[in-house]
Amino acid sequence: MVDLSIPPDLTFVVLTTITLLAAIMALQAKELIYGAISLAVSFMGIAGFFVFLDAPYLAMLQIAVYVGAVVVLILFTIMLVRREEAGKDETPEGGEGAAGLWIAGLLAVAIAGVAALAGPNLPTTLQPANLPISQLGPVLAGTYPVPLIILALLLSAALLGALVLAKVER
Amino acid sequence: MVNLPTTPADVLPFIIAVVTSHTFITIVFFPGFIHLVIVVMFLTWYERKVLARIQLRIGPLYAGGPGGILQPIADGVKLIFKEVIVPYKADKPLFLGIPLALVFLATLPFAVIPFGQHWVIANLDVGLVFVFAMTSLFPSMILIFAWASNSKYPFMGGLRSLFQQVAYEIPMWISALSIVLLAGSLNLSDIVNAQQKIWFIVPAFLSFIVFFIASMAELERLPFDLPEAEPELVAGWYTESSGAVYMVIFLALYMKLYLMSSLITVLFLGGWWGPAFLPQPVWFILKSLAVATFIIIPRGVYPRLRVDLLIKIGWSRLLIIALANVFLTVLLLSTGVLSAWGL
Repeated sequence: MVDLSIPPDLTFVVLTTITLLAAIMALQAKELIYGAISLAVSFMGIAGFFVFLDAPYLAMLQIAVYVGAVVVLILFTIMLVRREEAGKDETPEGGEGAAGLWIAGLLAVAIAGVAALAGPNLPTTLQPANLPISQLGPVLAGTYPVPLIILALLLSAALLGALVLAKVER
Repeated sequence: MVNLPTTPADVLPFIIAVVTSHTFITIVFFPGFIHLVIVVMFLTWYERKVLARIQLRIGPLYAGGPGGILQPIADGVKLIFKEVIVPYKADKPLFLGIPLALVFLATLPFAVIPFGQHWVIANLDVGLVFVFAMTSLFPSMILIFAWASNSKYPFMGGLRSLFQQVAYEIPMWISALSIVLLAGSLNLSDIVNAQQKIWFIVPAFLSFIVFFIASMAELERLPFDLPEAEPELVAGWYTESSGAVYMVIFLALYMKLYLMSSLITVLFLGGWWGPAFLPQPVWFILKSLAVATFIIIPRGVYPRLRVDLLIKIGWSRLLIIALANVFLTVLLLSTGVLSAWGL
């Protein structure tokens, strides 16, 4: 065997760069469809983070659900808009940049606050979870039953809402 | 373990060590790149031959070899030298890039398909989910390609492909769930190992039916080839493709055909297990080609479905059968009927 493994720091930097650049592209793309594709790439980057954190199952589900399903929905919406209209972009009124800076600043303060409060308790090394996939169900249903039920209720509410909307249009 | 070469004299032993390593051989030769290209080329010839026999024709004959078996090479050379026509106002990077992405997506899942006990590139614990995650990217790619063609027939074909593949993905995943319950693992090698005593087609027959029909719809094969529908949409979502683009799209489509056949072999037909007089990979390839034959034959036999029937079958028949089969499997497992086979 030839050892060609990549150092973890490099993986982290590359993944972060790809994810963030794709996210910025998704917002800034002139053509909406390139925005959707960049969003897919960004989701892929998040999936890469899951692999990096020893959670391949979550990574695969991230790809299947977000890139496979959510991006399809977005694409579908984009394609209902005519191409000439989709190309036009509303000129920004100004103030968006300032709002973005405000939000970034608030987030930075929040993260710094958490880091300062947790202080030395923050883990500095990666601990693989080592949870076999067959244990995922018992943990979800046994340890966290209430959040699971709330999620299920939320999803059924979304489904019912979609049904109602579809009914009204008919 | 071989270290990276430091002196010029170490370079040649290093290259030899890399080329003869099991990883390199599995990726490049078998079951990797070269094997896949050869099988896919064979499949294009094989499909034409099978359809010709159904229609009492002879099929490819003059391209050399027995029965014109070199026809795919002739086709490939012809298509490479043809002009690639990019439609007016088409999105050029997407129009030329998406076919390559399709080939990439169709080839990548073979990394986790076990062709034998030791013939697997990556023995991933979430292999089955990996295959499904990769195949779930197809509809969006096809829709983007159809949109990038800037033409109405591809776009209608792309939309049809989207709702067909999204509708049939769900019964397919749920029917595979009962296999996961039977084997107790998402690792494809473990699933094959669990079938040493009995193939899963026997305890999960309903599941096999659902999976087979759903994979035919995923592959856009007749009777589910509405996204291509020659009489209505010219050639569906790849109407505008020509020359090398057309060839690359067909490479992707046949790669996906082989992928689905080998996935059915892994999940239901006992993977590499067979009498010992043939090596394991040979059994695997023979079974996959047999499955591919049964996917090809309906193209010469059945008419095309209507759109409403297609959606109705997907959502209100297959989905319910697949769900019922999951409960049936749980019942069989919990009552211990299958314990004779070590399940």
